[in-house]
Amino acid sequence: MILKIDFSSALSRFLYYARIWIMMSKNAFMSVLAQKKLFFLFLTGKIIRFSFFGLFLFFLVQGAGGIVGYDVDQAVFFFLTFNVIDIISQFLFREIYRFRPLLISGDFDLILLKPFNSLFRVLMGGADVIDLFTIPPLIVAVIYIGGKLNPMAFHIFLYIVLIISGLLIAMAFHILVASLGIITLDVDHTIMIYRDFVNLGRFPIEIYRQPLQGVLTYLIPLGVMIAVPARALMGLVSIQGVLLSFFLSFTGIFLSLRFWKYAIKKYTSASS
Amino acid sequence: MISNMGKYLQVFKISLGQEFAYRANFILWRLRNLLQIFLIFFLWDAVFSDPDTQLFGYDRSKILTYVFVLIFVKALVLSSRVTDAAGEVSRGDLSNYLVKPVSYFKYWFSRDVSSKLLNLVFAAGEALLLFILLKPAFFVQTNLLLVFFFVVSTVLAILIVFLVMFITNSITFWIPESAWGVHFVLMVLLEILSGVLFPLDILPDKLFSLLSYTPFPYLVFFPIQVYLGNFPLPVVMKGVFISFVWVVIFTYLLKKVWGKGLKAYQSYGR
Repeated sequence: MILKIDFSSALSRFLYYARIWIMMSKNAFMSVLAQKKLFFLFLTGKIIRFSFFGLFLFFLVQGAGGIVGYDVDQAVFFFLTFNVIDIISQFLFREIYRFRPLLISGDFDLILLKPFNSLFRVLMGGADVIDLFTIPPLIVAVIYIGGKLNPMAFHIFLYIVLIISGLLIAMAFHILVASLGIITLDVDHTIMIYRDFVNLGRFPIEIYRQPLQGVLTYLIPLGVMIAVPARALMGLVSIQGVLLSFFLSFTGIFLSLRFWKYAIKKYTSASS
Repeated sequence: MISNMGKYLQVFKISLGQEFAYRANFILWRLRNLLQIFLIFFLWDAVFSDPDTQLFGYDRSKILTYVFVLIFVKALVLSSRVTDAAGEVSRGDLSNYLVKPVSYFKYWFSRDVSSKLLNLVFAAGEALLLFILLKPAFFVQTNLLLVFFFVVSTVLAILIVFLVMFITNSITFWIPESAWGVHFVLMVLLEILSGVLFPLDILPDKLFSLLSYTPFPYLVFFPIQVYLGNFPLPVVMKGVFISFVWVVIFTYLLKKVWGKGLKAYQSYGR
């Protein structure tokens, strides 16, 4: 009976937040689509960057006859997996880029007063419509190139589960950036530096020398976010790798939430 | 009484002071550059892990030198403050300059030079640090004529980027909200097609020769190739001439577009 009540309460809570997210996303989409020229310029820029980088990678690895033991399809698959994590997390957590103005103007007060979780609003208050357009072709490319690697059903399952784990790590980083933003009032540079680190995951992590490779695997777990899911689809990940991925994602979420609770107590509401 | 050159020297000094006022911003910007260089360096380091590898016409020392020279050329050519001018047009702040005895282009060029100087100093420090840490094979160009043409082609590239960015700023006269988007597309094109991400000659021949009809290869790829001595002297001179022609074309275009833009300018927000 108790379990039933908890489940129903969790479900209604989930639906409550889902409704809020849809409403906020609609508003964000309408706001972007109101400036159609700007929307098309950004979409064009993103498509050009993605296409040229993919082409460059293809020509490079083909010309070199492979890179750190991976062939062309495998190297391209790493690049696509990087994009899956990067684009989906940007789509979901785009609102973080608009957090600083709220902090320096004191308008964050208005969010704290609302009857829903303020962190939810800070992270997911405005999904990015541009990325919504780039996600479907990206998924098609992942299925096409992934299919050429002849994965087993279990490896596909692992890939999907590990992508979710990677997105949880990305979420933990976004929470960390938001928390640091409250304390230091700087969000823009911190999030861009995070993205520059994530960009290092465009290629297989083995290209980096030690100790950088170790840092990127464990400290800024790019290896776990991007390389482990890609390797899982190729059947190259052990059960320890899968467990490590989940351990890091849940620890990351736990620690970042603790840090958010600490940071929110430091909010001074200056300028409001 | 400040002389004609003197006033731009003052702008240069004030801009330099402004950069130092926001030290954290600048250091974080350089850190981001460093991370981007890491990506390119380690990628080529992995591809040329065997010292005897010859690929796309490069050996290990030349490709790693490409990355190191890239740090300097990128700091000089692509670091620019000129994009901020678009905001001045859209906010109506341009009016403040139109009534003053200053050339708006020279004012922004002075600001650009101060930004480039600071970026160059930091780039030198970063290159030295990376050199000590990574100990890469490095090719030193001893032909002074090629070093001279490397400097000339870099200066021409700086002028091309300045002019192109000002032309894109001019769009703000007609579509104030779009300058940001146009700059984003331009920066993506500059990053990919100028040779920052990879030497352009790894592309298929047809694509590479198609690109040579645009100004992009003359911004980063060409100056570095001149330094590396990968082109014979007639090709170097032809490339320098083409860069010069692009400067002339963009100067003409800027004058035309800016003149028309000033006629459309209504100083909104003032």
